[in-house]
Amino acid sequence: MVPPPETGPTADAVTEAAGRPGLAGGTGAAGTTAPPDGAGAPPPVRPDAPAGAAGRRRPPGTERSPWRVFLRKPSTMVFLPLLGLFVLIAALGPLLVGDPSATGNAELLAPSAAHPLGTDHLGRDYLARVVNGGQISLLVGFTVAVLCMTIGLVVGGLAGYHGGWMDTLMVKLAEFFQVLPGIVLALVAAALLGANVFIIVAILSITMWPAVARIVRAEAMRISQLGYVESARAAGFRSARIIWSDVLPNALPPVLVATSMTVGRAILIESGLAYLGIGDPSHPSWGALLNSAQAYMRDGWWLAVAPGLCIFLVVLAVNMLGDALNDAYNPTVGRVK
Amino acid sequence: MKARLIHYGSLLLSSLILFIAVITVLFFLLELAPGDPIQTLVGDVPLSEAFRAQITAAYGLDKPVWERYVLYLGNVFTGNLGFSFGTNNEPVLDLILSRAGNTLALAVPAFLISTIGGIILGSIAARTRKRWLDGGISGGAVALFSVPNFWFGMLLIMVFSIWLGWFPTQGKSPYGQPGIGLEYLVLPVITMATSELAYKTRIMRSSMIESLGQDFVDTARSKGLSSSHVLWRHALPNALLPMVTVSGYSLGYILAGSVLVERVFGWPGMGLLFIDAINRQNNMVILGVVIVLTVVIILVNILTDVVYGLVDPRLRAQFSPQRTLPPEGRQDRQSDEVAA
Repeated sequence: MVPPPETGPTADAVTEAAGRPGLAGGTGAAGTTAPPDGAGAPPPVRPDAPAGAAGRRRPPGTERSPWRVFLRKPSTMVFLPLLGLFVLIAALGPLLVGDPSATGNAELLAPSAAHPLGTDHLGRDYLARVVNGGQISLLVGFTVAVLCMTIGLVVGGLAGYHGGWMDTLMVKLAEFFQVLPGIVLALVAAALLGANVFIIVAILSITMWPAVARIVRAEAMRISQLGYVESARAAGFRSARIIWSDVLPNALPPVLVATSMTVGRAILIESGLAYLGIGDPSHPSWGALLNSAQAYMRDGWWLAVAPGLCIFLVVLAVNMLGDALNDAYNPTVGRVK
Repeated sequence: MKARLIHYGSLLLSSLILFIAVITVLFFLLELAPGDPIQTLVGDVPLSEAFRAQITAAYGLDKPVWERYVLYLGNVFTGNLGFSFGTNNEPVLDLILSRAGNTLALAVPAFLISTIGGIILGSIAARTRKRWLDGGISGGAVALFSVPNFWFGMLLIMVFSIWLGWFPTQGKSPYGQPGIGLEYLVLPVITMATSELAYKTRIMRSSMIESLGQDFVDTARSKGLSSSHVLWRHALPNALLPMVTVSGYSLGYILAGSVLVERVFGWPGMGLLFIDAINRQNNMVILGVVIVLTVVIILVNILTDVVYGLVDPRLRAQFSPQRTLPPEGRQDRQSDEVAA
């Protein structure tokens, strides 16, 4: 994805490009020919459009698609590869690093060439443990996010489009999960029902879907008032079809932002649970590694540093990407002039 | 006035229903749980049938589920949260209240620091013309928001307690002494405050930017008022509105986060009590802690709603029930996050 040679400050360009009132997210691409997710369709740039700083104000209809703006942001260029690296390590790393539960090395060895992250209190290679732990953390984070997005799209879409009792029911359900912070409910449920990965994923999804559903609902309510939905209704399409092909695609950008935040929060909550000892003991995640590292903060500081740093970097990456996506699609919150 | 009464009436009613719903869900979750509380209570030793029957009768575990549920619900509303399965059979409420002070000693300073700090930092970031300053504050906020706060606490211990030796590593006071030592308070409070501070800074920044872009700010400026007057007297009150909501919710998050922070610092508050209860399957204590937490959160939410109605001049002027009925008038963390 090589962008055209334009060097104007990206954020300002976006602010200018979509500086239309009342278009908070969702319709950032309305003026362009590119669909919201259409990275393949470059926006038409007029040949006489001046490049560089002079080209910051673009003629109507030639704004860059928000997706391209997102991809060209400096933070995206840093954090997308970083996240990709972590995913790659989680997917392939366990094949390369050896058995995470093999003992036999000296105990509490500081990081060295043979053991880049040292060894733990039982003489196990810590690199192998951290790499394997990442698998659980990332798996939980992304699975929960996908589940939350799916539930959120269905429930929020129905509630926002139909209104009425469906809406009331959804709002009440969301309120229920909002009263109790997710970690408390997750803690009780995981402690009671058992603590394998599936149960934790299920609990986190159940407690976190309202965050996405609320966004979908708000977007669906806004979009269902728009002209093209009304004309679809007038044309006699069934509401399921209207929701699927008109409402949801246009609600997608803010939903993606909310979903990316869900990834980060799910990873944080999962690591918190694991740190408290709620998790699968045979597959320790990063949080579980921190739990056992607590006792060795004096003699094995590296045990506490590596897993925490990994959690931090992954969560930072998804949050920064969510921010960048939000800025690209919803540039109304800009700097004060 | 009538609209206001209806509004608060329905708010109270829905809070009550919510409260009962939370108790109900938790009670039956505990019922469904596998495991044997009697065995947990006695420990890992063989249990005679006679002794089992005796304990079952003593704790009322032989009654049908529905009877115990109704009994429990009635007890909750009269302030009786049942008795701990633990050695002393203490009343759960007493147990919780004996720990609540320690948790509040952390939560209240953390709440104040994060709220005041968030307002100041967010306003500075929104108003400054120096890009590096805004970038530094905003970037720092995202970073701190992404740090697992229990790990942040571990780092603080390793740097400031183990390495530099400035603060104690664990506990709330020197061994055997009652009360709370001030030097014991520093690191846990910082740990608890950071992620909320980061969150509030983000919200405040975007809210202030929005506020500074409003017409009335331009009007005030064009009247020739000084820029600090415009900021403090015109833009700030308007920008603080979302902070009222966010602060209300943040108290619940701080209290919930105390589970982790208290574990890191070995701080004997409600959080540690909760974890101990979960590890020992002490169901009455688990339920009790969650109920106390729920009550606090619901009360704070009602308070937030009242404060919001008082401070928002638009609501004062034309009070319409639709505007503040939850959740339209309020935003949850996630939607604030997206708006940020």
